[in-house]
Amino acid sequence: MLELEKQLKAQPKAKKRKWLDGEGRWGLLLVSPYLVHFIVFVVGTSFASLYFSFSDYDILNPPKWTGLDNYEKLFQDSLFYRALWNTVYFTLLYVPAKTFLALLLAVALNQKLKGLKLFRMVHFLPVISSWTVIAYVADAIFNQRIGFANAVLAKFGVAPQSWLIDEGWVIPVLVVVAIWKSVGYMMIIFLAGLQGISSELYEAASIDGANAWQKFWRITVPMISGTTFLVVILNTIYSFQNFEQIFVMTGGSTEAGSTGGTNNASLVLMLLMFRQGFSFYKMGYASAIAWVLFLILLVITLIQFKLQKKWVHYD
Amino acid sequence: MQRRFPLSKIAGYLFVIISSLIMFVPFLTTIFNSLKTYKQYMQFPPEWLPDPVKWSNYTQVWEQANFSSYTMNSVIVAVLSVVGTLLSSSMVAFAFARLRFPFRDTLFMIVLGTMMIPGIVTIIPQFIIFKNLGLLDSLAPLWILEWLGQPFAIFLMRQAFLSIPKDYEEAAKLDGCNPLQIYWKVFLPMCKPSLATLAVFTFMGKWNEILAPIIYLISEEHFTLPIGILSLRGQYKTDDQLLVAGALISLIPILIVFLFAEKYFVEGSKTSGLK
Repeated sequence: MLELEKQLKAQPKAKKRKWLDGEGRWGLLLVSPYLVHFIVFVVGTSFASLYFSFSDYDILNPPKWTGLDNYEKLFQDSLFYRALWNTVYFTLLYVPAKTFLALLLAVALNQKLKGLKLFRMVHFLPVISSWTVIAYVADAIFNQRIGFANAVLAKFGVAPQSWLIDEGWVIPVLVVVAIWKSVGYMMIIFLAGLQGISSELYEAASIDGANAWQKFWRITVPMISGTTFLVVILNTIYSFQNFEQIFVMTGGSTEAGSTGGTNNASLVLMLLMFRQGFSFYKMGYASAIAWVLFLILLVITLIQFKLQKKWVHYD
Repeated sequence: MQRRFPLSKIAGYLFVIISSLIMFVPFLTTIFNSLKTYKQYMQFPPEWLPDPVKWSNYTQVWEQANFSSYTMNSVIVAVLSVVGTLLSSSMVAFAFARLRFPFRDTLFMIVLGTMMIPGIVTIIPQFIIFKNLGLLDSLAPLWILEWLGQPFAIFLMRQAFLSIPKDYEEAAKLDGCNPLQIYWKVFLPMCKPSLATLAVFTFMGKWNEILAPIIYLISEEHFTLPIGILSLRGQYKTDDQLLVAGALISLIPILIVFLFAEKYFVEGSKTSGLK
């Protein structure tokens, strides 16, 4: 963002010229597609959504203003708290583990290794796959009947687990698969960051007798903290809105009501919104969920921005 | 940095190889699963290697399910989205990068802002809009917004346009080109790498998309690949090992794009870290 502000300032300020009007008109003409997008599909829809969240709306009849009803109902709904906890639980497991693993991978790949390109490609394979494909890959490992996780456990005399249909296992397994799918993507972002660290720092540390471990914690981690911050923000936002994976992996079919795992063990806020909106056609209630989710995300992001001053290193 | 510590290089190799195996073996297992007979697929404890190897699973799933129709729909959505994004976002980005007009910087800040705002609150009203336009159960809602500019794409293309020296613009202006012609004839051809990155990312996103097709598509004839396969999953109409083959078929186009354009995937990922 800082870079951008600089760029914006660096651009020449408008000078009075004869053809300024013409250029201004061209400019507005060329950006007009996005203006339509923004006014109708961002501003318009946001206000509509806010209005719906204070209404009773089943699509067939026009929305009826009901004040805070939806929000009151939501805060008394035990499923809401279940979904909120599941979302938070998923995020707490997902974000730190994925960030750390992505950084480790990037550090390992940031050397002149033979076959680097192949390694990178293999890590990108799950990134480019749809969740439908990944659902079958996850089946191959975590399906309670045909998966290899249980077959391996059996070799060690451990009883088979029912993974995705087990209330206790479902979220940890989802997190493992989610990390596996996209750790390669975050690794690329870290790799770009690592290339910005001057090698002199490492050389100086070597002269002082630092080992690789010390160098990782004393140089790499603080120097890359700007990128780490970004990765944490992006992943938190993603995690709170995770829908596709949970829908695909703990539903089994496109029938909307059937997702969310055994006893709603994997019901997250996005699924709750989807269920209320697109299975029960309670668009008002679903909009209220969307706004609460949005506000939670906003607060968390703002807190993260506040906290960054304590740990993000800028030079 | 590592020259004096070959040990760290060995550790690096070890780590990367183990990690690569963790990435690849599940895929390999899935490929093996797709080649099994139904009996072997369902057997417990599972066997790793298919025996006999049933290549015919791949042709069978194509014939049994409406696979050609799913594929066609996916292609339509992906192609129209890619073309739409490339045209509209680059045009908008050109104006932001190269033209002076009222509120330009404010508007661009808004573009950046909308990139940060998650789309959750707009899902339902967008659904209502498309419903009122009579576009439910059609492919249109899946690609039409791509023709009105996407924030990330605008951001990416603007960066590319900013890096082009002013001389090109001046020369074209002297030749009597208007801004639209300058954009089309001079700037667009010079930004092919960024366009390729954008094309690859849009294709990937649209090819794999699940939420929007689930919301907007009702009848099976309109289903795209990911949700077409999903709709058959767990319904016991089609054998599971055939669906595994089907899912892997759906991966092929994106895999081909990836193999030929890997560097654009990497570039795009880096850029998504820049914002």
